[in-house]
Amino acid sequence: MTSPYELLGLSANASPAEIKAAYHAKLKEFPAHRHPEQFKAIRAAYDAARQGESAAADEFFFLVRPLEATLDPEMLQQLRQRLTAQLAVSLEEMIRETF
Amino acid sequence: MSRAVGIDLGTTNSEVAIVEDGQVRVLPGEDGELMLPSCVGFDDQGQLLVGRAALRQAAAAPDRTVRSIKRWMGTDHKTILRSEGSGSDPTRDFLPHEISAMILRALKQRAETALAEAVTQAVITVPAYFTNAQRQATKTAGEIAGLEVLQILNEPTAAALAYDLRSEETERVLVYDLGGGTFDVSVVEMTGSVTEVLASHGNNQLGGDDFDRRLQLHLAERFRQTHGMAVPDDPVTQARLLRAAEQIKVTLSTHAFAPVREAFLGSKGKTALHLETEIARTDFEALIRPLLTETLEAIDRALSDAKLQAEDLDRIILVGGSTRIPLVQQMVQDHLGQAPVEGVQPDLSVALGAALQAGVLVGEEIDAILVDVIPHSLGISAAVDTPMGVMPGYFSVIIPRNSVVPVSRSEVYATLSPNQAVVEIEIFQGENEVAEENVPLGSYRIEGLPPAPAGSIQIEVHFDFDLNGILTVTTTEKGKGKQGKLMVNHAGIQRLSSSELQQARANLDALFTSDETKTGSGVRVSQPADAELADLIERAQQLLSSLADQQAEELQELLDSLEHALAAAETATVSELQEELSDFLYYAAPHAT
Repeated sequence: MTSPYELLGLSANASPAEIKAAYHAKLKEFPAHRHPEQFKAIRAAYDAARQGESAAADEFFFLVRPLEATLDPEMLQQLRQRLTAQLAVSLEEMIRETF
Repeated sequence: MSRAVGIDLGTTNSEVAIVEDGQVRVLPGEDGELMLPSCVGFDDQGQLLVGRAALRQAAAAPDRTVRSIKRWMGTDHKTILRSEGSGSDPTRDFLPHEISAMILRALKQRAETALAEAVTQAVITVPAYFTNAQRQATKTAGEIAGLEVLQILNEPTAAALAYDLRSEETERVLVYDLGGGTFDVSVVEMTGSVTEVLASHGNNQLGGDDFDRRLQLHLAERFRQTHGMAVPDDPVTQARLLRAAEQIKVTLSTHAFAPVREAFLGSKGKTALHLETEIARTDFEALIRPLLTETLEAIDRALSDAKLQAEDLDRIILVGGSTRIPLVQQMVQDHLGQAPVEGVQPDLSVALGAALQAGVLVGEEIDAILVDVIPHSLGISAAVDTPMGVMPGYFSVIIPRNSVVPVSRSEVYATLSPNQAVVEIEIFQGENEVAEENVPLGSYRIEGLPPAPAGSIQIEVHFDFDLNGILTVTTTEKGKGKQGKLMVNHAGIQRLSSSELQQARANLDALFTSDETKTGSGVRVSQPADAELADLIERAQQLLSSLADQQAEELQELLDSLEHALAAAETATVSELQEELSDFLYYAAPHAT
């Protein structure tokens, strides 16, 4: 199984600009209207390669995040209200639909 | 050799363009006009009219004329047109794609005349936010018109292609496309020859027509306030009011006030009632502001889907006739903190981009790579766990909106109840969490599942969405390899069988061959070659209905003798009469202040 980086012809530590340039070069080689299957593979590889960047960023974020995260009670309350409201509406709708 | 063209099939106007020797241009009709009004009608002899000739009679004969058919595309709405002067049943009804086929056929003819070659292939544009059914209807219309539809292309994407940036630096461009009946916004990233759409959003039912309609109601209200009675609710009067509204809208794009003089809109006893008033630009702006605010919200969603801020945009391109309205420009500019670029041809750039893409597809030497997205999410109806218990009917998205096309995605679902033998796969398109609130695309059943505890049977649902907007759904029972397949696009009314297509083509041929001269460029038999004179005659005909009896008679006489002179090709008499007509219009027509 080829890795996204291999498919795009990149080294594992390619920069975002390099990833994009490699993706564009592959697009020119395999335009979607002529090579739909290759195009899908290239696009998936591009998405995965870009994801790689942000996944790494997430990991970094986890490392520096304080252990006791304080949850905003007001936001929680809002979220709860919205959820209940949504459920109430759909229940009502369901009742109306049924009868 | 036959040629491939690009077609912008618009709500109000349509254009056809082509690439020749690397240059792209819009092809004019025989009357010299680049735009063909998207209007179809029958004259009092039952002859088909397409374009300006049809538009000219729209206010006088609304029962024989249809406009803005694009708003009905993808539905089974029937347009009833009176196609013969008399007879036992003088009406015929048409489906939206049949009317669109007439417009496309006229454009095909226009291109063939201009190029002196057969035209058999086309890229046709649609609003980015069009649903699958609307796209399919457009494709079918093209096929009825005798065109092989190479691709259905999104309008804002086409406009971006036509915007020749071609710098190797990456630029982010927002295309704001407000036409006669539809609105799209697309966020596009352009790097050299690669044009990549990051996100699209829009509204299929918002455009200049809605502004006209609001203004029409406003005029009716003015009339009611002045005369203490409502404007008569007959089609001709309402069509006149609508036409007045359109003219006011256009005037207000360049003037602060627009005069209104519509004579004989109604009567009270023996007194004729006229509408004489003035509409200020600010009045019009107050009417349309709420609609434009919606477009700003769409901009925000497109930006957020593209994971960009307004500051990240390098350029803003305005496309579509309605972007001529100063308030539109101002609101977009205020909202994004940046002025739109100058020099874009809002009416033509979509057709130009379509022609470029057609060139790419048939292998012309055009350096353009396009990556576009799907505007609506695709998924199935499924049950989910909630704090209230299991709730069925949730929309489970398999291909999220703004995914790059072509695309394939799968999700795995499990059976809900013990010994469940049947699973219904219902496919929807849209953004609502409740499946039923979205557009249904089709459904099928998987039957004969073996008895097993709830949740133990797993079914993989695979969606494959291709460049032509065709969705193929495949289901596989995990571990069994039992397959079900559905080509979603083949369901629905807009897809014709080959015999139906042949019949539709024959019907269209019959309409067109009965009088070639009245279609294509959309001109009458005695149509002068001179565009200026044509314009003059058109204005005179529009004015006719709003003039007092005596003046109207004079004008009619003048038009009649002009028509005779034209038919007899008496050049000297024609130019004499033309001057006379021009003077007449100058004194009789209401002037913009």
